[in-house]
Amino acid sequence: MSSLVFYLLTVAIFFCIYSIYGWGLNLQFGLTGILNFTYITFVAIGAYFAGVAALQPGNGGIGGQYILGWHLPFPIPPIIGGIAAAILALLVGYVGLKRLRSDYLAIVTVSVGQIVWTLIGNITPLFNGWDGLAGVPQPFNSIFQLDFNHYQWIFLVICILFAVLGFWIIERLTHSPFGRVLRAIREDEDVAAALGKNVFRYKMMAFVIGSIYAGVGGALTIAYIGAFNPSGFTTMETFIIWAAMLVGGSGNNRGMILGAFIVPVLFNEGTRFLPSTPGNPLLAVSIRGMAIGLLLILAARYRPQGILPERKTIFRLDGLQQGGEVGGDRVVPQ
Amino acid sequence: MAIVSFPSSILKVTNLAKSFGGVKAINDVSFIVREGTVTGLIGPNGAGKSSVVNAISGFTQVDRGVVELAGHDITNQAPHRIAARGLIRSFQIARELQKLTVLENMMVAPFQQLGESPWRALISRRAVMREEREHLAAAVDWLQMFNLFPLRDEYAGNLSGGQKKLLELARALMAKPKVVLLDEPMAGVNPTLTKTLQGYISRLRDQGVTFLLIEHNLSVVEAICDHVVVLAEGAVLAEGQMNELRETEEVISAYLGG
Ligand SMILES: Nc1ncnc2c1ncn2[C@@H]1O[C@H](COP(=O)(O)OP(=O)(O)O)[C@@H](O)[C@H]1O
Ligand SMILES: [Mg+2]
Repeated sequence: MSSLVFYLLTVAIFFCIYSIYGWGLNLQFGLTGILNFTYITFVAIGAYFAGVAALQPGNGGIGGQYILGWHLPFPIPPIIGGIAAAILALLVGYVGLKRLRSDYLAIVTVSVGQIVWTLIGNITPLFNGWDGLAGVPQPFNSIFQLDFNHYQWIFLVICILFAVLGFWIIERLTHSPFGRVLRAIREDEDVAAALGKNVFRYKMMAFVIGSIYAGVGGALTIAYIGAFNPSGFTTMETFIIWAAMLVGGSGNNRGMILGAFIVPVLFNEGTRFLPSTPGNPLLAVSIRGMAIGLLLILAARYRPQGILPERKTIFRLDGLQQGGEVGGDRVVPQ
Repeated sequence: MAIVSFPSSILKVTNLAKSFGGVKAINDVSFIVREGTVTGLIGPNGAGKSSVVNAISGFTQVDRGVVELAGHDITNQAPHRIAARGLIRSFQIARELQKLTVLENMMVAPFQQLGESPWRALISRRAVMREEREHLAAAVDWLQMFNLFPLRDEYAGNLSGGQKKLLELARALMAKPKVVLLDEPMAGVNPTLTKTLQGYISRLRDQGVTFLLIEHNLSVVEAICDHVVVLAEGAVLAEGQMNELRETEEVISAYLGG
């Protein structure tokens, strides 16, 4: 197999995974207005728990030490990853969403990200500390026994299946009365409350469902790479997902796909080919960050709603059972 | 012998008090609103009218006093729980959901919609769609009554000030409330439409809906209010029918002298 095909497969897989990440963040921020500045932490929790659910019990040797080690077959690890991220979201939500102001949660999320990152790095028995997990088995490859190059095709199919299911669910939710309440909360929490909507509960649901997307995406990431450590969930990663959402179009799940293509794929992958400078190995990474930052500034200036803005909901009114002419007897439509 | 039957009170406010720092917005306010009436709440600017509405609807926590809705103590309950009991309020400064269309603003209002559960939204699509059609029919009726139908697919943020006030009122009524608190619903609405709105409020009242109406235009108050409570400096100054109150010295001086 040519290395180009290999590379394109890798890109396609990450494209699917970033779309999944993006839909979760889009539900939280694009629809509900929740500022989650540590989205990647929920990705990481999903990755770690899926990892230790798939790994053999840790022996403290080369594989390192970690909890669980249940050696469960696919697709159970992603489910566990999703649940783990959901539980973290419940905990964070109880602290941060109770308060009325959304910027309060933003601060809470930043702190939670720092705390989780430091704890996971330093408490080695959890997920093998700074070295992280490695050797996580590839889904179904004990059956297929393919080399990594050929296995990529299998994994791409798995990712596409997850992405299609994820897209179907998120689109249904977005364009339902549930999604409408979330957007009402985004626009004005007081109005939603005055109409009898339990704002805290809805925000919590959006936060948890969004985090499940993060967790499942993280589970796919660790299943693909086979390894994960704290360098995989830095603030830069959250920034990339946010940038993808803002450039693609917050509030629009299709825009999110576009954003996942433009930011993580084009900008992040594209800048990999920058010639490395021997004296400054971090230059490429810095240029990548700057390029994405510049893209964000341009998007904010010329396309503040993103490339594909939130679509207007137009109801079809034909065939409605209407109450009669204006000022008719039925003043209260019952 | 004629039996005079008074409708029972559906909303009862007793010894309400609320301070913001040093400002006593509500000093000591007690009144009742009888079921199926339009009760006016009037008074000069800063009298505490909006504060009373905020207190009743749970948007401000009161320091003292009791609010009862249909016999239930709702004092300091969360706004959504009070709304769930059938008390819907409007805001003095219209608060339209800007990036939702006019029709969507209306569609948010119905209480306990099936599709508001994410689970139901996923698996019971048919039932959810059916319910949506019912709400849609009601929403279209309301919008036609308020002359907002041609603007149904417009983002609410693009409406004029008066149109926003109308939408605010229509949305409150869309929620099928038992009790409606309206904070200056006619401010900024043109005179012709004001007349129409008066007609609708009276007719809804006749169908059993109860209103507490804050309104500055005293001829509107006189025309549609069965009972009027006059507030001044956070306290009830007088109560009665508008034509009687017009003659009352204190009311005149509160409005003119201040
Ligand atoms: N959130 C608040 N913070 C501080 N003062 C307030 C607040 N709300 C109302 N007030 C004060 O309470 C008094 C009554 O205001 P309000 O209820 O709006 O009067 P009205 O609606 O009758 O014009 C005013 O002096 C106002 O400045
Ligand atoms: Mg006021």
